[in-house]
Amino acid sequence: MSDRKLPRLLQAPAVLLLLVWMLIPLGMTLYFSFIRYVLNSLRRPEWTSPSLSNWRGFGNYEFVLKSKDFLLAIQNSLFIVCSILFLTVILGVLIAVLINKAFPGQGVVRVLLISPFFVMPAVNAVLWINMILDPVLGLQGIAVAGINEFLDGLRQIPVLGGFFSLWPEFEPVSFRATQTSAIAVIMMVTWQWTPFAVLIFMTSLQSEDQQQKEAAVLDGASTWSQFRFLTLPHLGRPIAIVVMIQAIFHLSLYAEIEIVSRGNGNKNLPYLIGEFANNNIGAASATGIFAVILANFVAIFLLRMVGKTLME
Amino acid sequence: MAIVAQSSKFSTYGRPVLAWGVGLLFFFPIFWMVLTSFKTDADAVKPEHLIFFTPTFDNYLNMTDNYDYWRFATNSVISAVSATAFTLFVSVPAAYAMAFNPSRSTKDVLMWMLSTKMLPAAAVLYPMIFLAKSIGLYDTHILIITVLSLINLPIAIWMLFTYFKEIPKDIIEAGKMDGVNTWGEIKEILVPLAWGGIASTALLVFIFCWNEAYWTVRLTTIDAATLSKLIEGNRAPEGLFFGRLSAVSTAAVGPIVVLGWFCQKQLVQGLTFGAVK
Amino acid sequence: MGRIVLDQVSKKFGDVEVIPPLDLTIEDGEFAVFVGPSGCGKSTLLRMIAGLEDLTSGNIEIDSEVVTEVPPSKRGLAMVFQSYALYPHMTVRKNIGFPLRMEKMAPDEIDKRVEAAAQSLNLIDYLDRKPGQLSGGQRQRVAIGRAIVRDPSAFLFDEPLSNLDAALRVGMRLEISEMHERMQTTMIYVTHDQVEAMTMANKIVVLQAGVIEQVGSPLDLYHKPQNVFVAGFIGSPKMNIFSGSEAEKHGAHTIGIRPEHTDVSMTDGTWEGRVGVAEHLGSDTFIHVHDTGLTDMITVRITGDISVKHGDKIYLTPQADQIHKFDAKGQRIA
Repeated sequence: MSDRKLPRLLQAPAVLLLLVWMLIPLGMTLYFSFIRYVLNSLRRPEWTSPSLSNWRGFGNYEFVLKSKDFLLAIQNSLFIVCSILFLTVILGVLIAVLINKAFPGQGVVRVLLISPFFVMPAVNAVLWINMILDPVLGLQGIAVAGINEFLDGLRQIPVLGGFFSLWPEFEPVSFRATQTSAIAVIMMVTWQWTPFAVLIFMTSLQSEDQQQKEAAVLDGASTWSQFRFLTLPHLGRPIAIVVMIQAIFHLSLYAEIEIVSRGNGNKNLPYLIGEFANNNIGAASATGIFAVILANFVAIFLLRMVGKTLME
Repeated sequence: MAIVAQSSKFSTYGRPVLAWGVGLLFFFPIFWMVLTSFKTDADAVKPEHLIFFTPTFDNYLNMTDNYDYWRFATNSVISAVSATAFTLFVSVPAAYAMAFNPSRSTKDVLMWMLSTKMLPAAAVLYPMIFLAKSIGLYDTHILIITVLSLINLPIAIWMLFTYFKEIPKDIIEAGKMDGVNTWGEIKEILVPLAWGGIASTALLVFIFCWNEAYWTVRLTTIDAATLSKLIEGNRAPEGLFFGRLSAVSTAAVGPIVVLGWFCQKQLVQGLTFGAVK
Repeated sequence: MGRIVLDQVSKKFGDVEVIPPLDLTIEDGEFAVFVGPSGCGKSTLLRMIAGLEDLTSGNIEIDSEVVTEVPPSKRGLAMVFQSYALYPHMTVRKNIGFPLRMEKMAPDEIDKRVEAAAQSLNLIDYLDRKPGQLSGGQRQRVAIGRAIVRDPSAFLFDEPLSNLDAALRVGMRLEISEMHERMQTTMIYVTHDQVEAMTMANKIVVLQAGVIEQVGSPLDLYHKPQNVFVAGFIGSPKMNIFSGSEAEKHGAHTIGIRPEHTDVSMTDGTWEGRVGVAEHLGSDTFIHVHDTGLTDMITVRITGDISVKHGDKIYLTPQADQIHKFDAKGQRIA
């Protein structure tokens, strides 16, 4: 019947657009990754426009693999994504279980909790790194200074003061530093995405079988056993969803890293590509291909997990 | 019995206190931003004015002078609204076809669509800049609208697909028996029934467009630059302008946060891709 | 008019053949019931007639016209779905009038027809409500109303009563039968409930695994089941069916005897057994008899009440002319 053609026709624009979107830029990236191509070169001006005569084979890939930033960027990408996933899922489950039962003001608490999810990443980063985490002017700085001042006051007390003078001065932490900037990014993204996890888990908890729980209570299951053997397995599927969606978003984290430290000590793959792309397009493209391969690994794994549940 | 008694005590006092604590903790950074936006830049960094200060609206009144706020805000509105409209225009028919006339390849097509979302944007950054510049679209609304639509298309189709699938197939078939054609099916049955789903998809796409901070930063300089670019360009590492920065940040996220409050339930349901009921 | 002919109709889902080629004719004005266990293909067959499912091969004719390629709404059929499939966003009035609106009928004519249908279905007070505000039985009526207004050449019912509670089901069953008597329109009715089939049909089509096991009137099927499957499926409680030496005595591979065709005695009879559970319904008593050496359990049905205790010895005598005999392939031996 004609029923067959129409659905194809209706899908066609979406499919074609995405196909073009995927193939053309990706094809160009692939091409650039095999040629010498830089934006500015006084010495070799012929390299500044893409051309097959500048063929470099796997040279760009070797260059990228040898640069010490590359390995750091991969490690850092994974460190950031995995930390965020771990924290958001744990916090998400705990908070969801906490606020799932009715209590006065439940609706308001929900609204308060979801708010961070809607904040734009650029604002999120600016807000956290300056107003909250800044070691001098941010709340962190002010709080540490306040504690030190308070301790100073205690040291003036006769007799007891001797005890407090043994205490060290507290040092505020600079989150723009090499060792700490990834922590700042993890903190702010966790703040933004935990609400998402909470709401999805809550939605799921509401569909939990109450009779099953009552049966468990009659069977003598403790609160912990109920959580461990009924609630947690019930949350398996939503956890998979939360992990998948967040992986999609966090593998391409960029604004936060740029704003926190301009990538100082904390480059992930997208950031490294951005840096290369300031001049060495060949290297940027080769890094891009590595990023695609990494993403594919993650994608195959995640899509399998979610795909099963999709068509039911 | 002791455990039961204890847990009920927890329910009465512990749970509300703890829950409110967590809720306020998560909301605190936003509250702090809004509070700071009413302080002068000088007061904003003084510990003695942490909580007690003379509120001022100057930061908001001077947003145009300080940051050219309205220019960026207008760009954000233009790109987010147009991209949302275009995304829906393409995704509603596609999701409709997939939900009600699935073929054996439908699942794979959906998976493939989502996998394009996993394609790291950075991998194709330079080709995009190159293409945009060579056809003269760099830093234009058209470019930003196109890119925003494309990156949100997979999510929109997935969300709509799950909403449409909730509509019983029987109803669509009853429509067929009653003599509706395809256009009638969309107009008379699908849209009225999935109105909530379509609206929340639109809303979520709009939010993602509004908040997008990779392409909008890298593919614009000034003419099509959005609020993300504005904020990113004023990270103020020395913190001299906390007051005015808070004001412009509040103005950038305020509308979206409020919008999100009203629709959070539907949004979450759509985002679970139907895997959580 | 509504004579429906299926000619070598078959259906495959992928590589799975759910309905091997079959022929079937439903005469104009007949009340045909497709009955069979779930998954037997009866709903698929109905949906193929409706045009909601493509045929893999074969043809469907309605009133001598081949409709295989005709879209559902142009076949002149109306369908009532198991879930009622009402449009939740429309009032009852709009729901019933919807097919007419799609035919571009004049609004006042639509109103007239909707009112008439609502009158006959006792829905007149609910015309401005939405389906969500109606009870199950009322929704069912609306679904039927939506079918009636089109004045179709045949009605298709897909398990229409299975979502109703037992009491309502009996009422609706009578109403649909009444409707058929009044309109004399062809009706095709799908159900897994053999009681519905027996009470409503002129013609029962028994299906199993996509194959028609037997076509006939309710009493044909009851008295002369063509094979073991039909014998076991039609009639309640189920016919007792067993093979072995007792069957061979009757010159058959398998024999069957209905519970109501077995006489009971506490003193003597053909078969000896022990009383298991006895179910006292007042009008009838069902006794489940064990340890007969024939099969695990034999059910007998006795009119009226009889007092037996669990474990009592009991004797059963089948009524000789009511024994159904089947060969090794399960087919009836005449």
